[in-house]
Amino acid sequence: MLEPLLGSRNKERILLYLRIRKEGYAREISRFFGTDLAPIQKQLERLENGGVLYSRSVGRTRLYGLNPRYPFLSELRPLLDKALAFYPSDEKEKLTMVRTRPRRKGKPL
Amino acid sequence: MKSIGKMSLGELGAFVCTQLRKQGIRVVLSGGACVAIYTDNRYESLDLDFVENAPTERTRIVEALNEIGFIEKDRYFKHPETDFIIEFPAGPLAVGSEPVRDIQEMEFSTGRLSLLSPTDCIKDRLAAYYHWNDAQCLEQAILVAGARNVDLNEVRRWSAAESKSAEFRKIRKRLSEAARKGNNS
Repeated sequence: MLEPLLGSRNKERILLYLRIRKEGYAREISRFFGTDLAPIQKQLERLENGGVLYSRSVGRTRLYGLNPRYPFLSELRPLLDKALAFYPSDEKEKLTMVRTRPRRKGKPL
Repeated sequence: MKSIGKMSLGELGAFVCTQLRKQGIRVVLSGGACVAIYTDNRYESLDLDFVENAPTERTRIVEALNEIGFIEKDRYFKHPETDFIIEFPAGPLAVGSEPVRDIQEMEFSTGRLSLLSPTDCIKDRLAAYYHWNDAQCLEQAILVAGARNVDLNEVRRWSAAESKSAEFRKIRKRLSEAARKGNNS
Protein backbone atom coordinates (compact mmCIF):
# COMPACT_ATOMS: atom_id res chain seq x y z
CA MET A 1 0.00 0.00 0.00
CA LEU A 2 2.55 2.59 1.14
CA GLU A 3 5.57 0.65 -0.09
CA PRO A 4 6.19 2.94 -3.10
CA LEU A 5 6.21 5.90 -0.73
CA LEU A 6 8.19 4.34 2.11
CA GLY A 7 10.55 2.33 -0.07
CA SER A 8 10.12 -0.79 2.02
CA ARG A 9 7.33 -3.26 2.64
CA ASN A 10 8.65 -4.01 6.10
CA LYS A 11 8.62 -0.33 7.02
CA GLU A 12 4.93 -0.23 6.12
CA ARG A 13 4.26 -3.36 8.15
CA ILE A 14 6.07 -1.95 11.17
CA LEU A 15 4.30 1.40 11.05
CA LEU A 16 0.86 -0.17 10.63
CA TYR A 17 1.56 -2.63 13.40
CA LEU A 18 2.65 0.11 15.80
CA ARG A 19 -0.21 2.39 14.77
CA ILE A 20 -2.69 -0.28 15.89
CA ARG A 21 -0.88 -2.06 18.69
CA LYS A 22 0.87 1.07 20.08
CA GLU A 23 4.03 -0.87 20.97
CA GLY A 24 5.78 -3.98 19.76
CA TYR A 25 9.12 -5.74 19.56
CA ALA A 26 11.00 -7.02 16.55
CA ARG A 27 10.32 -10.76 16.96
CA GLU A 28 6.62 -10.14 17.62
CA ILE A 29 6.27 -8.02 14.48
CA SER A 30 8.20 -10.45 12.30
CA ARG A 31 6.11 -13.38 13.59
CA PHE A 32 2.89 -11.51 13.00
CA PHE A 33 3.73 -10.86 9.36
CA GLY A 34 5.50 -14.22 8.89
CA THR A 35 8.69 -12.57 7.78
CA ASP A 36 12.38 -12.81 8.72
CA LEU A 37 13.54 -11.11 11.88
CA ALA A 38 16.68 -9.39 10.54
CA PRO A 39 14.97 -7.08 8.00
CA ILE A 40 12.40 -6.05 10.59
CA GLN A 41 15.18 -5.25 13.08
CA LYS A 42 16.99 -3.26 10.41
CA GLN A 43 13.94 -1.17 9.56
CA LEU A 44 13.11 -0.63 13.24
CA GLU A 45 16.62 0.72 13.74
CA ARG A 46 16.33 2.98 10.70
CA LEU A 47 12.97 4.35 11.80
CA GLU A 48 14.30 4.97 15.30
CA ASN A 49 17.42 6.73 13.98
CA GLY A 50 15.12 8.88 11.86
CA GLY A 51 13.11 9.91 14.91
CA VAL A 52 9.92 8.22 13.68
CA LEU A 53 9.97 5.60 16.43
CA TYR A 54 11.08 5.55 20.03
CA SER A 55 12.30 2.50 21.84
CA ARG A 56 12.52 1.48 25.47
CA SER A 57 13.82 -1.57 27.26
CA VAL A 58 11.47 -3.79 29.25
CA GLY A 59 13.51 -6.57 30.81
CA ARG A 60 15.50 -8.02 27.94
CA THR A 61 13.05 -6.85 25.30
CA ARG A 62 13.28 -3.63 23.29
CA LEU A 63 9.82 -2.21 22.70
CA TYR A 64 9.16 0.23 19.87
CA GLY A 65 6.37 2.72 19.31
CA LEU A 66 5.53 5.75 17.18
CA ASN A 67 7.51 8.68 18.58
CA PRO A 68 5.05 11.27 19.96
CA ARG A 69 7.71 13.95 19.33
CA TYR A 70 8.06 13.12 15.62
CA PRO A 71 7.08 16.42 13.93
CA PHE A 72 5.06 14.69 11.19
CA LEU A 73 3.20 12.27 13.45
CA SER A 74 -0.14 14.06 13.14
CA GLU A 75 0.15 13.69 9.34
CA LEU A 76 1.49 10.13 9.47
CA ARG A 77 -1.34 8.74 11.60
CA PRO A 78 -4.18 9.48 9.13
CA LEU A 79 -2.02 8.16 6.29
CA LEU A 80 -1.56 4.87 8.11
CA ASP A 81 -5.25 4.76 8.99
CA LYS A 82 -6.17 5.21 5.34
CA ALA A 83 -3.70 2.54 4.26
CA LEU A 84 -5.20 0.19 6.82
CA ALA A 85 -8.67 0.82 5.41
CA PHE A 86 -7.49 -0.77 2.14
CA TYR A 87 -6.26 -3.93 3.82
CA PRO A 88 -8.37 -7.10 3.50
CA SER A 89 -10.78 -7.28 6.43
CA ASP A 90 -9.34 -10.56 7.77
CA GLU A 91 -5.82 -9.09 7.96
CA LYS A 92 -7.14 -5.92 9.50
CA GLU A 93 -9.04 -7.89 12.10
CA LYS A 94 -5.98 -9.98 12.92
CA LEU A 95 -4.06 -6.77 13.54
CA THR A 96 -6.69 -5.03 15.63
CA MET A 97 -8.20 -7.94 17.56
CA VAL A 98 -5.65 -8.65 20.21
CA ARG A 99 -6.26 -9.62 23.80
CA THR A 100 -5.05 -6.75 25.99
CA ARG A 101 -6.80 -7.65 29.24
CA PRO A 102 -4.69 -9.56 31.79
CA ARG A 103 -4.64 -13.32 31.99
CA ARG A 104 -3.47 -15.14 35.10
CA LYS A 105 -0.40 -17.34 34.61
CA GLY A 106 -1.30 -21.02 34.21
CA LYS A 107 -5.01 -20.43 33.62
CA PRO A 108 -6.38 -23.10 31.22
CA LEU A 109 -7.73 -21.88 27.88
CA MET B 1 42.64 29.02 20.87
CA LYS B 2 41.84 26.88 23.90
CA SER B 3 42.43 23.16 23.62
CA ILE B 4 39.25 21.09 23.28
CA GLY B 5 39.88 19.52 26.68
CA LYS B 6 39.64 22.95 28.37
CA MET B 7 36.53 24.19 26.57
CA SER B 8 33.25 24.69 28.44
CA LEU B 9 30.06 23.28 26.99
CA GLY B 10 29.22 26.57 25.28
CA GLU B 11 32.73 27.07 23.97
CA LEU B 12 32.84 23.56 22.55
CA GLY B 13 29.38 23.96 21.04
CA ALA B 14 30.48 27.20 19.36
CA PHE B 15 33.70 25.59 18.13
CA VAL B 16 31.89 22.60 16.61
CA CYS B 17 29.15 24.77 15.14
CA THR B 18 31.74 27.04 13.52
CA GLN B 19 33.78 24.15 12.15
CA LEU B 20 30.66 22.64 10.59
CA ARG B 21 29.56 26.01 9.22
CA LYS B 22 32.91 26.34 7.44
CA GLN B 23 32.02 23.11 5.62
CA GLY B 24 28.60 24.47 4.69
CA ILE B 25 26.83 22.36 7.32
CA ARG B 26 24.29 24.33 9.34
CA VAL B 27 23.36 22.88 12.70
CA VAL B 28 21.50 24.20 15.74
CA LEU B 29 22.12 23.17 19.33
CA SER B 30 19.02 21.84 21.09
CA GLY B 31 18.16 19.74 24.13
CA GLY B 32 19.65 19.91 27.61
CA ALA B 33 22.82 21.70 26.46
CA CYS B 34 20.72 24.83 25.75
CA VAL B 35 19.37 24.63 29.31
CA ALA B 36 22.94 24.46 30.64
CA ILE B 37 23.97 27.50 28.60
CA TYR B 38 20.91 29.59 29.45
CA THR B 39 21.11 28.79 33.17
CA ASP B 40 24.89 29.23 33.47
CA ASN B 41 25.22 25.52 34.27
CA ARG B 42 22.63 25.39 37.03
CA TYR B 43 21.68 22.33 35.03
CA GLU B 44 24.72 20.39 33.88
CA SER B 45 24.85 18.50 30.62
CA LEU B 46 27.56 16.54 28.89
CA ASP B 47 25.53 16.02 25.73
CA LEU B 48 25.59 18.38 22.81
CA ASP B 49 22.63 17.58 20.57
CA PHE B 50 22.92 19.32 17.23
CA VAL B 51 20.03 19.19 14.79
CA GLU B 52 20.70 19.86 11.13
CA ASN B 53 19.04 23.02 9.93
CA ALA B 54 19.14 21.66 6.39
CA PRO B 55 19.51 17.98 5.49
CA THR B 56 23.17 16.98 5.19
CA GLU B 57 24.79 13.70 4.26
CA ARG B 58 26.04 11.95 7.37
CA THR B 59 29.43 11.29 5.79
CA ARG B 60 30.06 15.05 5.49
CA ILE B 61 29.38 15.53 9.20
CA VAL B 62 31.63 12.58 10.07
CA GLU B 63 34.46 13.99 7.94
CA ALA B 64 34.12 17.50 9.39
CA LEU B 65 34.18 16.19 12.96
CA ASN B 66 37.03 13.80 12.27
CA GLU B 67 39.07 16.83 11.21
CA ILE B 68 38.80 18.26 14.74
CA GLY B 69 39.43 14.92 16.41
CA PHE B 70 35.90 13.68 17.13
CA ILE B 71 35.39 10.03 16.31
CA GLU B 72 32.01 8.42 15.76
CA LYS B 73 30.99 5.49 17.92
CA ASP B 74 27.41 4.14 17.99
CA ARG B 75 26.12 7.36 16.37
CA TYR B 76 27.81 9.51 19.07
CA PHE B 77 30.99 11.51 18.58
CA LYS B 78 33.68 11.47 21.24
CA HIS B 79 37.00 13.23 21.60
CA PRO B 80 39.86 11.84 23.71
CA GLU B 81 40.37 15.16 25.55
CA THR B 82 36.80 15.83 26.68
CA ASP B 83 33.87 14.12 28.39
CA PHE B 84 31.37 16.04 26.27
CA ILE B 85 29.56 13.91 23.71
CA ILE B 86 28.20 15.18 20.42
CA GLU B 87 25.10 13.70 18.82
CA PHE B 88 23.01 14.56 15.81
CA PRO B 89 19.40 13.58 16.55
CA ALA B 90 17.21 13.20 13.50
CA GLY B 91 15.78 16.41 12.09
CA PRO B 92 13.88 18.38 11.10
CA LEU B 93 14.60 21.20 13.53
CA ALA B 94 11.31 21.31 15.42
CA VAL B 95 9.73 21.84 18.79
CA GLY B 96 6.91 19.35 18.97
CA SER B 97 5.19 19.43 15.60
CA GLU B 98 6.21 23.00 14.73
CA PRO B 99 9.35 24.11 12.88
CA VAL B 100 11.82 26.33 14.73
CA ARG B 101 11.80 29.87 13.30
CA ASP B 102 13.85 31.87 15.80
CA ILE B 103 17.45 30.68 15.92
CA GLN B 104 19.70 32.45 18.41
CA GLU B 105 23.38 33.16 17.90
CA MET B 106 25.90 33.40 20.75
CA GLU B 107 29.51 34.45 20.40
CA PHE B 108 32.25 32.64 22.30
CA SER B 109 36.04 32.97 22.05
CA THR B 110 35.95 29.68 20.13
CA GLY B 111 33.34 30.65 17.55
CA ARG B 112 29.66 31.36 17.00
CA LEU B 113 26.99 29.04 18.35
CA SER B 114 23.52 28.65 16.82
CA LEU B 115 21.00 27.45 19.36
CA LEU B 116 17.30 27.39 20.24
CA SER B 117 15.91 30.60 21.72
CA PRO B 118 15.09 30.48 25.46
CA THR B 119 11.37 30.29 24.64
CA ASP B 120 11.91 27.41 22.18
CA CYS B 121 14.23 25.76 24.70
CA ILE B 122 11.32 25.75 27.16
CA LYS B 123 9.03 24.27 24.50
CA ASP B 124 11.64 21.61 23.72
CA ARG B 125 11.87 20.63 27.39
CA LEU B 126 8.10 20.71 27.81
CA ALA B 127 7.68 18.45 24.77
CA ALA B 128 9.67 15.82 26.69
CA TYR B 129 7.61 16.51 29.82
CA TYR B 130 4.30 16.34 27.97
CA HIS B 131 5.05 13.26 25.92
CA TRP B 132 7.34 11.24 28.20
CA ASN B 133 6.12 12.56 31.54
CA ASP B 134 9.76 13.43 32.28
CA ALA B 135 9.75 15.50 35.48
CA GLN B 136 13.43 16.48 35.07
CA CYS B 137 12.58 18.23 31.81
CA LEU B 138 9.86 20.25 33.54
CA GLU B 139 12.40 21.39 36.13
CA GLN B 140 14.78 22.36 33.31
CA ALA B 141 12.05 24.42 31.65
CA ILE B 142 11.41 26.20 34.95
CA LEU B 143 15.14 26.91 35.36
CA VAL B 144 15.25 28.54 31.92
CA ALA B 145 12.09 30.57 32.67
CA GLY B 146 13.85 31.92 35.77
CA ALA B 147 17.12 32.68 34.02
CA ARG B 148 16.08 34.30 30.73
CA ASN B 149 13.41 36.50 29.23
CA VAL B 150 10.85 34.11 27.80
CA ASP B 151 7.47 34.48 26.15
CA LEU B 152 5.10 32.36 28.21
CA ASN B 153 2.12 33.39 26.08
CA GLU B 154 3.89 31.80 23.14
CA VAL B 155 4.53 28.68 25.23
CA ARG B 156 0.82 28.60 26.06
CA ARG B 157 -0.13 28.94 22.37
CA TRP B 158 2.31 26.21 21.41
CA SER B 159 1.05 23.92 24.18
CA ALA B 160 -2.48 24.33 22.82
CA ALA B 161 -1.24 23.51 19.31
CA GLU B 162 0.28 20.34 20.77
CA SER B 163 -3.11 19.53 22.38
CA LYS B 164 -1.53 20.00 25.80
CA SER B 165 -3.50 22.96 27.15
CA ALA B 166 -4.63 21.05 30.24
CA GLU B 167 -1.05 20.04 31.02
CA PHE B 168 0.13 23.62 30.52
CA ARG B 169 -2.49 24.95 32.94
CA LYS B 170 -1.07 22.66 35.65
CA ILE B 171 2.45 24.08 35.30
CA ARG B 172 1.70 27.67 34.26
CA LYS B 173 1.96 29.00 37.82
CA ARG B 174 5.41 27.48 38.36
CA LEU B 175 6.69 28.87 35.06
CA SER B 176 5.20 32.32 35.71
CA GLU B 177 6.63 32.50 39.24
CA ALA B 178 10.07 31.46 38.01
CA ALA B 179 9.91 34.11 35.26
CA ARG B 180 8.75 36.80 37.72
CA LYS B 181 11.52 35.98 40.21
CA GLY B 182 14.04 35.99 37.39
CA ASN B 183 12.93 39.45 36.24
CA ASN B 184 13.15 40.83 39.80
CA SER B 185 16.64 39.49 40.51
